[in-house]
Amino acid sequence: MGLGLVRAREDLMQAIPSEERAAHEELQPIHHEPKSFFFKYLWSLDHKMIGRQFLWAGLGFLLVGGLLAMMIRWQWAFPGKPVPVLGSIFLRSQGGAIGPATYMTIFTMHGLIMIFFAITPVLIGAFGNFLLPLQIGARDMAFPWLNALSFWTFALSLVFVILSLFGELGAAGAGWTTYPPLSTNVGTPGSGQTWMVAAVFVTGVSTIMGGINYVTTVIRHRAPGMTWMRLPLATWGLWLTAILNVLFVPVLGSAALLLLLDRLFGTQFFIAGATASVSGGGDPILFQHLFWIFGHPEVYILILPAWGIVSDLLSFFSRKPANWYRGTVYAMIAVCVLSAMVYGHHMFLTGFTPLLGQSFMLLTLIISVPAELLFLNWLRTVWQGSIRLTTPMLFSLGMLFVFGMGGLTGLYLGATATDIYLHDTMFVVGHFHLTMAAASFVASLAAIYFWFPKMFGRRMNETLGKVHFWITLVCLVTVFSGQLLAGYSGQSRRLYDPYQYTFLKHLLGVNRVASYAAFLLLFAQFIFIYNFIRSLIAGEKAESNPWQVSTLEWFTASPPPYHNYDRIPTVLRGPHEFADPEVRRRLGRDFIGQAEELPEAMPPAVASAG
Amino acid sequence: MTLLLAPLPEKGIGLPHDASLHGWRIDALINETSVYVGLLFVIMVAWVVLACLRHGPRHEARFDHGTSTRSIAVGLCIAGAIFFVVDGPLFVNSLILARDVFGNFAKVEADPKSVRIEITAHQWAWVARYAGPDGKFNTPDDIVTFNDVVVPEGTPILFQLVSTDVIHSFNIPNMRAKIDAVPGMVNRVWFEAKETGEFDIACAQHCGLNHYKMKATLTVLPRPDWEKWAAEASANSARDYDPDDREAHWGWDWSEHARI
Repeated sequence: MGLGLVRAREDLMQAIPSEERAAHEELQPIHHEPKSFFFKYLWSLDHKMIGRQFLWAGLGFLLVGGLLAMMIRWQWAFPGKPVPVLGSIFLRSQGGAIGPATYMTIFTMHGLIMIFFAITPVLIGAFGNFLLPLQIGARDMAFPWLNALSFWTFALSLVFVILSLFGELGAAGAGWTTYPPLSTNVGTPGSGQTWMVAAVFVTGVSTIMGGINYVTTVIRHRAPGMTWMRLPLATWGLWLTAILNVLFVPVLGSAALLLLLDRLFGTQFFIAGATASVSGGGDPILFQHLFWIFGHPEVYILILPAWGIVSDLLSFFSRKPANWYRGTVYAMIAVCVLSAMVYGHHMFLTGFTPLLGQSFMLLTLIISVPAELLFLNWLRTVWQGSIRLTTPMLFSLGMLFVFGMGGLTGLYLGATATDIYLHDTMFVVGHFHLTMAAASFVASLAAIYFWFPKMFGRRMNETLGKVHFWITLVCLVTVFSGQLLAGYSGQSRRLYDPYQYTFLKHLLGVNRVASYAAFLLLFAQFIFIYNFIRSLIAGEKAESNPWQVSTLEWFTASPPPYHNYDRIPTVLRGPHEFADPEVRRRLGRDFIGQAEELPEAMPPAVASAG
Repeated sequence: MTLLLAPLPEKGIGLPHDASLHGWRIDALINETSVYVGLLFVIMVAWVVLACLRHGPRHEARFDHGTSTRSIAVGLCIAGAIFFVVDGPLFVNSLILARDVFGNFAKVEADPKSVRIEITAHQWAWVARYAGPDGKFNTPDDIVTFNDVVVPEGTPILFQLVSTDVIHSFNIPNMRAKIDAVPGMVNRVWFEAKETGEFDIACAQHCGLNHYKMKATLTVLPRPDWEKWAAEASANSARDYDPDDREAHWGWDWSEHARI
């Protein structure tokens, strides 16, 4: 009997040459965990600790960005009225009310903080760091030192953000898109704008360092047997995001640097018209090209990790293999390839030639095909499954709902004719919030609920999680549907007081409903914060694989040891092996781990000997 | 002169009143797309709800990777069908509308009735300039108005616009017309009003502190009334012309940009 098992094991060894296994162990030797506070918590080289650093920083700034959003919603519901609580703390000099100058800094800081300092660190910084090495069976990132440097560079950019908030003449106010000439000294002369452009530049440096690290790690440190087509889809999403970051954040960096030169040294790269001291020098539209060559891929940078995570979770909690795994991978790759070729739809009304507009329209509409394939795969994954509506599953299905709304509303904005009317309206705001805000936020929450046991060794409360889910989903949909409807009715974005216009006066009602939903949304997050902190301290202890799923990280301790794996695993199969009748017969359960050996039920060697 | 009404308030959620000759083309395309998009969304949600109800924990999951040729072909066909049915009309109609209507400046330029207006946007106002009887811009008989654009009904109105400081966006929702005003370049837009009345002109691009107040009025008059207004206004400008007020002497040669 023992002989049969040994023989089966030998077959596996043959598939993975022993030199390769030895090389992996040699490449990633086990280091001892540092004991001093400084090297354990601050300058940690451990990807799991760096992931947690990004998580705390990101969640903190998510709250800041969220409070700024509440102030915007208050202004649209009760224009010019003193803001309760926040007003008496931050706007004392203005009697608690938001003025037009404060308003423009609020929506600018809300956008920049949410994109660069909340969603990016949570989805990419925290989960990218935590998951990538674990899911590919590595002991750490390829460049642990660069990883730590990436976080502390990010921390430096956070200092710049805080300096901007206290800048003379207020924080940055030119909108998150920072279009010149408004974002030059012509429009926003205060130091707050300068600090914020610098913050975006510095956080870009951090992102590029992180991106290089992620790309290299997945290429070089995959465990033996972890072929490309066996990677969990979360890893695929995070890896493709890292590639987009490495390719396109430098473009943003160049735009930010030129803008800083304009602001600090009067170079006039982006200034034209009467405010330029030289004629024919600068070009404001050049900035828009640079910004959106980065900015449109950025949408996918924020959503690809979400797509990957949700693709995995839908399979895990349907207890069924992900439908057409390769199709999902190819679709995500296609989106990445197209991502920088569609950016022109942000600029349909800048006056570029119709040929350019129409080309960008065609490419934009084409990118909907891979998106449709992703959706079809998700829908066909849950069909004929054995669905367990756990909190992470609810949030994953919630992501389908909000991303579905966001994706479909994008069609109107990708076509040049319908965009004439809808461009720069709240319809755009509703659309991109549903895709890059709601969808990535909901997916981040799915990820937090799902990987919490692995990160902290304890489980979160499911009941509180479900209550949190339902309030969050209903509120998100109400808030952003409200924006879509207001925009469809003609409300422009970024208006301090939309009701100045006769044709918008009647929209106060719909805006108020959306604002009430937003306030409730904020309160629902306190349920999450309570659940998170309580579970951290007193949650039920988690075993190594509480969700009964198949990817590598669930086959090491919760939380994993400093070096992740005592022995680097040998991967035998893909990440979604559920409901295999053979596995059920031999193991008595509906799943098998990626590196788990399937025992022989009736070893043939023994049978023939007998 | 006719008694003018202030812009009328809108009611309910929906596209604002369309007072232009061609706006319905955009509205129809938006509404048609909404039908498809709504249908797709309902199918998606129904599918997920049904899956949760029918294929819950007691249902045995099917061991299927969805990799059979048939399964993949079905997926590709559905995605392709959606692309041709939903995205197709958007693309084709956008091309047709750009060629025949919203981008067809050649036809409007050739129309002898067309009214030409130059707009200078600055923080935070719209200044409009009409060529006057001599048909030339930046001459003493030009009509210059401030946050007040007066146009005739049933006539193509052509705008060329610039900005002197930051980027603005010239937006007339009731006419379904919108185009950016960018420092250093001249942009164009045109529409034809099919009814008289007053309408809001708004700035659609964040342009600083008083962006929300960068508002002008579009007044559409019957053609004879407008002719009378224009003659009177032009005579007033010629009389008030101050050759030393160089700040007021802006305007550019229209034909230079007509062939862009």
